[in-house]
Amino acid sequence: MLTAVIAFFIGGLVILATTKKNPLSTYRAIFDGTGLNWFFHVGSHKIGIPFTDTRVWFPWDTASRSAMDLQQTLIIVTPLILTGIAVAFAFRCGLFNIGGNGQYTVGAIVGVQFGVWFAGLPGPVHVIIAMAAATLAGALWAGIAGLLKATVGAHEVITTIMLNWIALWVGSYLVGFNGPMQDPRALSAPVTRPVAQSARLDVFWGFPTLQGLHIGFFIALGALVVYWLVLNRTTLGYEVKAVGFNAEAARYGGISVPRNYFLAMAISGAFAGLAGSIDILGWEFNLDLTVVQSVQIGFIGIAVALLGRNNALGIFFAALLFGALLTGTSTRNLDPSVFKPELAGNLTQIIQGLVVLFVGVDLLVLYVWRALRRPFPRRRVES
Amino acid sequence: MKRKTWMTLAVATIVGVLAVAIAAVAGIGRAAPTKGDAAVKVALVTDIGGLNDKGFNHLSYVGLQRAIKELKVKGRVYITKSAADRKPNLQAAAQDGNGLVIAVGVLFEFGPLDDVAPAFPNTKFAGVDVDWSGLTSHPPNVRGIQFREQEAGYLVGYIAGLWETRHPVKGKMVVGGVGANKVPAITRFLAGYRAGAHKANRKIKVYIDYANDPTFADQAKCKETTLNQIGKGSRVEFEAAGACGLGGLSAAKQKHLWGIGVDADQSFLGPHILTSATKHVDLSVFDAIKAYKANPTGFKGGFNKNYTVKNHGVGYGKLSAKLSKADRTFITAKANHIAKLIAEGKIKIPSK
Repeated sequence: MLTAVIAFFIGGLVILATTKKNPLSTYRAIFDGTGLNWFFHVGSHKIGIPFTDTRVWFPWDTASRSAMDLQQTLIIVTPLILTGIAVAFAFRCGLFNIGGNGQYTVGAIVGVQFGVWFAGLPGPVHVIIAMAAATLAGALWAGIAGLLKATVGAHEVITTIMLNWIALWVGSYLVGFNGPMQDPRALSAPVTRPVAQSARLDVFWGFPTLQGLHIGFFIALGALVVYWLVLNRTTLGYEVKAVGFNAEAARYGGISVPRNYFLAMAISGAFAGLAGSIDILGWEFNLDLTVVQSVQIGFIGIAVALLGRNNALGIFFAALLFGALLTGTSTRNLDPSVFKPELAGNLTQIIQGLVVLFVGVDLLVLYVWRALRRPFPRRRVES
Repeated sequence: MKRKTWMTLAVATIVGVLAVAIAAVAGIGRAAPTKGDAAVKVALVTDIGGLNDKGFNHLSYVGLQRAIKELKVKGRVYITKSAADRKPNLQAAAQDGNGLVIAVGVLFEFGPLDDVAPAFPNTKFAGVDVDWSGLTSHPPNVRGIQFREQEAGYLVGYIAGLWETRHPVKGKMVVGGVGANKVPAITRFLAGYRAGAHKANRKIKVYIDYANDPTFADQAKCKETTLNQIGKGSRVEFEAAGACGLGGLSAAKQKHLWGIGVDADQSFLGPHILTSATKHVDLSVFDAIKAYKANPTGFKGGFNKNYTVKNHGVGYGKLSAKLSKADRTFITAKANHIAKLIAEGKIKIPSK
């Protein structure tokens, strides 16, 4: 968390230096844009008692701008949690999964196709089928990298990056103009058919047609619990962590390292694939070419896992931070008079980059701190 | 004690749920634009790609800037960075009190406008490149904006044909047109191009090929297709291919031949650009704002506004500075005559 604070501080100085604006007021504007101010909406709502102007705290309001912003923040937080887990789980096994984005894309493609098929099914069954298929697809996609690592030792960083590109271009072909998944009624646009009504997730806060918050958010929270349980309460989690700490020692202890490499990657991919399908079934409903080619959710997931230190609670708060940053700096929220809209998007990236950078620096600071404190007692032991 | 706490919680939850229902009913009414605002407020919602894409989003932004300057309206741009921004941007634009919300890009047709427009019946929407008849909810407050690309294609085809006719090589006259992918807008450009070249001279050979680039951004693909056509003797290359076409235009430059730009006036690329088939997205945005400002309540939706040669929505761009004076005067006179005939509806142009 220290990391994030330092990153914000430096980001503030950058704002001050480049735009001559007050960083505090800029941060205030970003914070208001995240929708988190919804929790502090004291006395902002008229309750309509005749002849008075009584205002009360109205925490269950759904239509105000701050409510909408909070819904949007949480909609982005949902896949960020899952892609964060996808990176973190592999990390625990000593693997660096850069392929979250590709696994997310594969999940989205499979999710949208299964959402289009089976239109007659009852809602929950349809949703579960589509999600399960997407999860499996993500697992298989990442499993390729895991298998290569386990059998021939191909480095997972290289293979997952390459699989990202394969997913991007295969997706572009499928969704793009004249591709097999393009909507036959939409000749002028590279977009798939919308998923059937039965495959859409329920919206529990906000308006279903206006991209309200869907129940996929709870699935993401559930995934955090699953992540924690698997790592800390199962043999599989123990083995994965053992391999992550020291592969040689694990092998000596009778743990199959290749098996765990494969499983860790496949499980990671499953979470990312699930993220892709939740976005499709929750609010996107169709997949278009620009999304396939410009989605960044999987990459931000790396920052989420780094900042969250691969720990379930940490991932939640890191996802919340990055999700909030994305909505907070969007041009609809950041008033152009406070901050130039052209620069707002870059601000998110600056802060993201700084956070990732300072995760490394954080360790360095701790290291230096310990090094400075230790010499004294250590010398005493020697003498 | 504990039981009591639970009871309290349960009651609070029930009250909360009830309030959600009330808010859901009452909430949407507040979206109406505030009355008594002195300045007319309009919003532009761009699509993924940003304001500096040198194409669609940029041109629409130019149109908004012009409206702010000349019509003294208040304009605000909402930049879409990811697909998750589309609906919230439209919604925020309406809730911020903008009477007219212009969405740029065909992808707003598939979901966003369909869902958001009916929720804000007092706000007017316009969609650049959006086909109103493609909206499944048939919202009466949305106006589609479409362009007749075949007319622009016809004009530049005609100009290419004129030049070939005046400068044949060993009696041969060949021109080429390259599209990024077979989509309606591109097909219209190229169909017009072929017809226009033949109008100038029946004997001209016209090659039409597609680079099969679904991204519209892969310059290498258009370059390859263009070089193929140049190999077959083509000396004027029309690139109806967005950013992909920049590759084809640079190929034409390398071979010291003519290139023809598309959408924006691409004469800024150099003197090798003979002319451009222009599609004035900026004008369409400006027009919509102008019409809205003149009569906010009378701004009608429920149809497509077509941009043609007649209303200067499409046309041809600057002629190259490299043209000889004689060529320039000849081509200008002939092309303007044809443009007039098109505007009067005296020329039938195929759209595919």
